[in-house]
This record gives sequence, structure tokens and C-alpha cells, in this order.
Amino acid sequence: MAKITIDGKQLEVDNKLTIIQVALEHGIAIPHFCWHPRLSVAGNCRICLVEVEKFPKLVIACATQVTDGMVVKTNSPKVVNAREAVMEFLLINHPLDCPICDEAGECKLQDYAYKFSEGVSRFDFEKVRKPKRVELGPNVMLDVERCIMCSRCVRFCDEIAKKPQLVFIQRADHVELTTFPGENLDHPYSMNTIDLCPVGALTSRDFRFKARVWEMSSTDTVCPGCARGCNMKMWVRNNEVLRLTPRYNPEVNDYWMCDYGRLNTFKYVNAENRIKAPLIRKEGVLANQTDSGLVEVGWDEAIAKVASELKSFDEDEIAGLCSAFATNEDNYLFVKLMNMLGVKNIAFLQHLIEGDEDDILIRADKTPNNRGVREVGLTSSINGSGWEIILRRIDEGTIKALYVIDDDPGADPRVAETLARLDFFVVHASNENDTTKLADVVLSSSTYAEKHGTFTNFQGRVQRIRPAVTTAEQDRALDGFAMSRLDKFGAHNDRWMQGPKCDARPTWRILTCVANALGAKWKHNTVEDVFNEIAATTESFKGMSYMKLGLRGMLLKTKVEVVAAPIHA
Amino acid sequence: MEKLILPDIPHLRHIDVYEMRGGYQALKKALGMKPDDVIEEVKKSNLRGRGGACFPTGLKWSFMPKQTTKPKYLCANGDESEPGTFKDRAIFEFNPHLFIEGAIIAAYAMGVKTIYTYVRGEYAKWITLLQKAVDDAYAKNYLGENILGSSFSIELYSHKGAGAYICGEESALMNSLEGDRGYPRVKPPFPAQNGLWGCPTTINNIETLANVPIIINKGWEWYSQIGAPKHPGTLLYGISGHVNKPGIYELPTGVLLTDLIYKYAGGVLGNKKIKAVIPGGSSTMWLRGDEIDGVKMDAESLKAAGTAIGTGGVIVMDEDTDILKILTRITHFYHHESCGQCTPCREGCGWMEKILNRFLEGEGTMEDVDLLLDVANNIEGNTICALGDAAAWPVQSFIKKFRDEFERRAKKTPSMKKPVKPPHLVTLEV
Ligand SMILES: Cc1cc2nc3c(=O)[nH]c(=O)nc-3n(C[C@H](O)[C@H](O)[C@H](O)COP(=O)(O)O)c2cc1C
Ligand code: SF4
Ligand code: SF4
Repeated sequence: MAKITIDGKQLEVDNKLTIIQVALEHGIAIPHFCWHPRLSVAGNCRICLVEVEKFPKLVIACATQVTDGMVVKTNSPKVVNAREAVMEFLLINHPLDCPICDEAGECKLQDYAYKFSEGVSRFDFEKVRKPKRVELGPNVMLDVERCIMCSRCVRFCDEIAKKPQLVFIQRADHVELTTFPGENLDHPYSMNTIDLCPVGALTSRDFRFKARVWEMSSTDTVCPGCARGCNMKMWVRNNEVLRLTPRYNPEVNDYWMCDYGRLNTFKYVNAENRIKAPLIRKEGVLANQTDSGLVEVGWDEAIAKVASELKSFDEDEIAGLCSAFATNEDNYLFVKLMNMLGVKNIAFLQHLIEGDEDDILIRADKTPNNRGVREVGLTSSINGSGWEIILRRIDEGTIKALYVIDDDPGADPRVAETLARLDFFVVHASNENDTTKLADVVLSSSTYAEKHGTFTNFQGRVQRIRPAVTTAEQDRALDGFAMSRLDKFGAHNDRWMQGPKCDARPTWRILTCVANALGAKWKHNTVEDVFNEIAATTESFKGMSYMKLGLRGMLLKTKVEVVAAPIHA
Repeated sequence: MEKLILPDIPHLRHIDVYEMRGGYQALKKALGMKPDDVIEEVKKSNLRGRGGACFPTGLKWSFMPKQTTKPKYLCANGDESEPGTFKDRAIFEFNPHLFIEGAIIAAYAMGVKTIYTYVRGEYAKWITLLQKAVDDAYAKNYLGENILGSSFSIELYSHKGAGAYICGEESALMNSLEGDRGYPRVKPPFPAQNGLWGCPTTINNIETLANVPIIINKGWEWYSQIGAPKHPGTLLYGISGHVNKPGIYELPTGVLLTDLIYKYAGGVLGNKKIKAVIPGGSSTMWLRGDEIDGVKMDAESLKAAGTAIGTGGVIVMDEDTDILKILTRITHFYHHESCGQCTPCREGCGWMEKILNRFLEGEGTMEDVDLLLDVANNIEGNTICALGDAAAWPVQSFIKKFRDEFERRAKKTPSMKKPVKPPHLVTLEV
């Protein structure tokens, strides 16, 4: 331990830490570009220069370990002057193209320029010109002129992704970031460099020029791309998801997420093939090239139809398929409904891609809630292999009705053939797929982007998702959405307020409606009620609440099969 | 005074001649001493580094950890890229075995098993000369396994630089050796803790190591009597610029700067007056011609004169020299050689060059001089390595001592800031 003083504050701190670490822990902000808590210290930006008593020169807070008796000043005239000088240096060759730069609004350089800079430049020469619009890889675009050579992206590739693909070439103010000869920035985590980049040098080729950051709302949620469940932010404007960015959770994903999750887990939310309302099959019309054979109906009609059809079968003639894509709450109520009907034939599908995994984040299990499905309903007695039995019984004609939530078993042509034999087939689906083509009733369900709920990741960590996109029945202002400036201040006739809305409901609510149509008296007004019921009835969820799950989630109270250390350990 | 490093002995670079003149005797003597006693001997001799920073050599060696499971390294720094500096080249050419012997003794003293010699890439001819000497030393088992029948084994590899001044900075040198970009490292950790491949490492200049056999042979007491007491020994002064006999002169430390110029280097070309002198390589602060009387060439004296001994490379400029052009050229050098890693040096060096170029074009104003000084001040002390300082010092000292040069050339009509042409590179005919 060391006793030190920072800006007059006396602190007792671990003497293995650096000044910047200690300061941040104690709420003293020292500006920094190149320093990042998970990357090696580069010490190149020099914006964190501070004064330490008895030291002849200013020192960089990121590389200076604290020692007993150290007296640090982070705002002395000398420090303020050096900081201003660094800002002035950084800006002399910078293009200052904030008005057309994606980073504006979340740019460290811009923020610090307002905070620590004089606002005038004494540089009146032509700036050094460097390449623009360099395609570093499939997902990342580079503007070399905006780069401040902090080397965060280089260090990330070397140290975290373990793919040394980036390098600097040339010297002095001609230094340029580039890829090694013959290399592309194409590793599975390449887009984290965009988040790390303190300026607009690295931008997302997917998101570029789609929106100014302040026009979007950002919602704390969880990626459904694999069983890791990386914590992330979902960015929305005009009810359209525009990008995903990782959100810090040291227990799950640290500061990172993979490119696959970032790019592929939101596009279907606003896709053309969304199911925009409940659908019922026209008598005897199967899907063909021009006609899905399904007609839009109101919720009441669709639910009444499902209830009356289900009533017409014996319990042994019905089977149910849970979903590892759906939340704990959805699956819990689904199993509850099946139990109510006496249905024993329940299964869920695993979606494993063997080999598509690594020891950073990516898991072979491509569903967010495998663990949860087994925990809230399908315990040891029934598992994925039950599905084969169900299919056999459908083929034999003993199972005649099937209820599927939020999965696409029909994607397998062999299975589709079997499913075509069913007398009654109801599915919850958010998008048209091979399964909806076969269904008699399609109940338009919300995507994970439109509902509250929880997923349980492979570690057994229960984590909340939150709605970022509204559906016909939800109102941003009323339903606890994260708001953008446009949400708050836009008028209803504003173009910002526009955007498509589906008449979709979360699966848990649809299930409640179906159960009640079947005579149950379920009183789940909100999904939180469902979760509280899980917590009250399921041992491993004991003591959990949405409040307690907060932003980082909680571990199940069972022996976790896969004990995973925090990824930075 | 007898020349110790470059004695006038024909063919001394040949190993047979070197041996005949007592070569490798110091190594034999050292191998009979305890390694710590060798370090102690060098410490007491007061030998200080000849690479520019004048750091006490024995003290530096003593920083190497004794108990370590890691391999230890010695890097011999022959990158020699500082303008005005060409002394290590002379050692490679005329007395390479003295350096090799010194390096082996240093390695023995510190428990090092591998020496890397990093030589400036442009020294193609001298790299060949050095390699020949190294090969001969291997052939005679001064290098290699169990040298001279002892239990001590030592390897020496010679590495050719690729033309970057920054790779002479000790930590950039190590990165370069490792195959990385020549970026200086943030210190601490210092090389003795965390050097080459993360192992304990010492970096010494070629000339520094060449002094070691002399100290071992003659003893610290004898050596510490030579020249200035706090900075003893002889130096290889390299004199260039407007003198009649430019070249390398081996003389004791503390010699008068004026003696160097007039007595040894044959005086100023055409008997002109001296306008300015750079005393220790392009990084050191300038002296006015009327300031050099009585100035002695050793670390303490030059510090007192507001400058530094640096590499001992003296650059003399006569009264007709366009010194602003020289300053611009020097600044261009640092701009060109800045590794581009840290903000003040990367951005500031180019800015200084642009301002100076504006003066050469007759477009500068006195406001620009204040700005130039401010830019230099904002670089100095705020960078990762000393290249930033090296770029700032000449500018700062020039403005202090030759402000009149700017005044004379400043645009008469005060600044109506107007669009300025992109700066061009200055080419010198000297
Ligand atoms: C930009 C820069 C360039 C340098 N170039 C050299 C060089 O070419 N040769 C050298 O011996 N030292 C050079 N040095 C000094 C080395 O960093 C180091 O101090 C020296 O090699 C140590 O040797 P010494 O203790 O024997 O002097 C340079 C330093 C800087 C900052
Ligand atoms: S591209 Fe961005 S992260 Fe990479 S070095 Fe430049 S400024 Fe830093
Ligand atoms: S001072 Fe200059 S040369 Fe040294 S690390 Fe910084 S940018 Fe590179």
C-alpha cells in the first residue's frame, strides 16, 4: 500500500497501480487517448501528463507507478499548459471534419478539444495529406488523416484478438496505419477497433453515415448471437436498429464483442420479411411462390383459433417445442402452458456449430438461452433428443398438433416433410421462414429487440434484455424505453418519430393470452411478474429480481457445469 | 598525450598486429578477476558513456540483476547517425578489436552470454571490416565456447540497421533487433530490468566499450587521471564544418574548444571568423562564435556553458554561413527522423520545420519566432525519448543566441496572414 495525494485528496492505494488507475478509481478524471485498461501501456499520446512533486519533468499518469508519499497534481498550470499543447499538436494536421465524421458526438478528440483546448490554432500551414477511405478489411474503414496514432487498434489486434494484422508505416507526421503486406483486418473481432479508436479514423462499413450518434437512443441489452451473451448497446433511430456496440461486463465479455454478433443479430429486426400481424392459413391453401396462403387477422381471432384447435386434441396428440432463442420467461410460460394441457412431448433444438468457437468469446452454441431452457422447464427428463421422438410420432400419426415458439425447425427439409403431416401447427415467429410456410397459425412475436426478458448464458449468468424498438402496442414514452434526443424533443409529426412498427407481441404475452383463452387465470401483466414467479418457484433463480440483475446479471444458484473464468483473467 | 583508442599503429585492425601490441591481454586479465571486481574497476575509473548521455558506465553495469534465470544481453550501439558524428566508424576501421575486447570484458563482468552489435546500415564498408575482425576473434577463441580455456562462453552477432536515426536510441534499438518497428519504449522499466525480449540488457556505445580494455590493463587510478576528473579519458572528437582539417582527433577530455579548432583542426577555412559552433553533435545547444573562448570539452564544462558534450562531434560555422538555413536543415533532419510515436515530437518537429522554411522564403515574422520557441518548449521534456529534446534544443538555443538572424530576415510589413505555399525541403551545398 502507498499513501499518496492527488489534487489535495489523500488516498491509500495499492502501490502496484499507476497514477491513472488510482485516479480513475477515485473519481479523478485524467484525460487519455492511448491508455486503455485492457491494453498494454503505450504512453504515446501524452495527454495524461501530470505533475509529481520532486520530479523534474511532467510524467505520464498511465505509465507512472504510485509510490508512498507521492504528491500528484493533475491540474496545475504546468499540466494545463502541457495538455493544451498536446491538443494543439494533435489538431494541427487533423482534418477537423467533425461535421461529416461518424465519430462526432462520441469522439474523445472532440470532447477533449472542448474541455482542454484553447479553441484556436496557431498553425496556418497546409496540413499533411494522407489516404482517405481505406478499406482495412471487410468491416472496417480507415481515414488515415483522422488517426492520432494512439496504437490502440494495433495493440488490440496483437494482444486481445491475437491477430497481428495492423501496423504503422512511415515516420513523424507521415506515419500511417495500415495492414501488414498481404493482410486484411479480417479477424472475428476486428470491429472492436472501431469502438477503441478514440477518433473517427476507424469506422464501421456497415454503419457509416447512417446516423449522428445523438439522434439515436441506446439501450442496454444482450447479444443473442451465441451462448456467451455479450453485453451490448443497441442503437436505434426512427424505430430502426442501426448498430450494436459492446457494453462492459468484466464477467462476460469485458469490453468486446465479436463481429458476427455485432453485424448479424439485428438486421432481422427491421427486415422486410417481418411478420407484421397474426396470420391464419386460408382453408387448404399451401404456401407457393406468390402466395403464403396466410391472411392477416386480429389477435383475438388468432388466439381463439389456437385455443379451440388445441382443445380438440388429446394431450398425447400434442407436442411443444421450446426455444433457446426465446427468453427464460417465454420458455417458462410455454412449459407451464404445456403442463396445463397435460402435454408431455416437449423438446427444444440445439444450434451448435462445432468448431466455430474460440477461447476469447465465441461459443459453438449459437443460441443465447440454451442453459435457460433447461433450467426453467426442460430439466433432465427431456432434452434435445426428445425432438427425434416427437418427429417419429408425427410420422406415425400419433402426434397431430405441434406448438412451436420462436424457432425454425422447418429449415431442415427432412423435418419440413414431417411437419407437413400435422393436423394443426401453430408457431410464434418474428420473421417469415421455412416453418411459417407450413403453419396453420402464425402468431407474430416480438424479437429480442422489442421486449424485456432474461437469457441465461453458458456460464449460468442470468442477464436482462430490454426493448429498444417499439411494436404497435408499445409506446416509447410509456414503456420505459431508453430515449434519444429526438424521442424526447421530436414532435409526433416529426420525421424522426416515424418508422415501421409491427403488430407483434412478446411470446410470454401471447402465451398468457392463449392460456387464458383456454380457461386459465394467469395474471402476468408484465414480464417482470413472470420472472418473479420463476424466482419464487425455481431453486436456481431464488432471490433474483430484475432490479438485482441490473446491468451485469447474476449467476444461477446451481453448480455450474461450465465454470468459466472472467475472460480477462 | 598518447592516443589510447586510435594509436598510430599501422594495420592495427589485423588481429595479429593487435595481439602483438598487447591486444586481448586485458581480456585475459579480466577473466582472472571476479566479474564484480571488473565492474568495480570500471566504476572507479569514472568512465562515462560516449553515446551522448554521459551516463557512468560501471554504475549502468551494476544495474544488471545478478540472480536471474533469464538470459542477459549486451547491445553495442554503433548506429552512429547523429549529424556531426563519425567516431565509432573510425574504431571499426582502425581498431575494431579494441571494441570487441571491451565488449567481451563487459559481457563477462555482467554475466552476459550474447552481444549484439547494432551498426548503422549506411556503414556497409565498416560492417564488413567489423565482421572480419569478429570472425578472426572467433577463430582465435576470443569469442565462442569456453573462451581461452575458461568456463566463459560468449557469442557476438553483428546487426545492420536500416537507415533510421531513431534506432540509435537504446530502446528503439532493442525493438529493431527484435524485428519490430524502431519505436522507443516508455521508461521505466529500464533495459536492465526489461530489455531485449524482456530480458536484462545493457546498451553501450562502441567508443565506451573500447575504453574498457585500457582501464583493465592500466588500472582505474591511471585512467581516472586523464583529462577532466569527473569525465576522464580521451575522446574521439569529430570536427566538421568550416575548418581546414576536419576529422577525428583523439584528445583528453577537457581540451579547449578553441585548441581543437585552431591547434588540431588547422583553424577556420580562409581564416574567417567563427559565427557559431555546435559542440557535441546536432542535438546539442549552439554556441556563438564569441562564446567559445575558454570553453573546455568535457561534460561539466559544457553544461556550465549551457550546452553538452553529446557525442563530441564539433560543427564549426564561419561568419559567412547562413546559419538559419543550417538550423532549418537540422530541424528537417529531426522531423524526418522522428519515429512518429508520441504526439509532441511527431507533430511539433514538422511544424518547426514549416515555420523555419517560411523564414527562408522571407515570409516569416517575429511572431513566428515566438511561436517557434513555444512549439520547441512544448516538445521539450514531454516526449517518450530524447529525440524530442534533441529537436527542441538547437531551436531554443538558436533563438536565444541568434534572435538577430530572425530579425534581419523577418518580413518588414507585419503579418497579414496569407495563404502559404507548402514548405519545401532545404538542400544544402556544404
Ligand atoms: C534519438 C537518439 C539517437 C541515439 N543514437 C545513438 C547512436 O547512434 N549511438 C549511440 O551510441 N547512442 C545513441 N543514443 C544514445 C543511446 O540511447 C544510449 O544512451 C547509448 O547508446 C548508451 O551508451 P553509453 O552509455 O555507452 O553512452 C541515441 C539517443 C537518442 C535519444
Ligand atoms: S486508427 Fe484509431 S485506434 Fe488506431 S491508431 Fe489511429 S487513432 Fe488510434
Ligand atoms: S520523442 Fe519523437 S522519436 Fe522519440 S518516441 Fe516520441 S516521436 Fe518517437
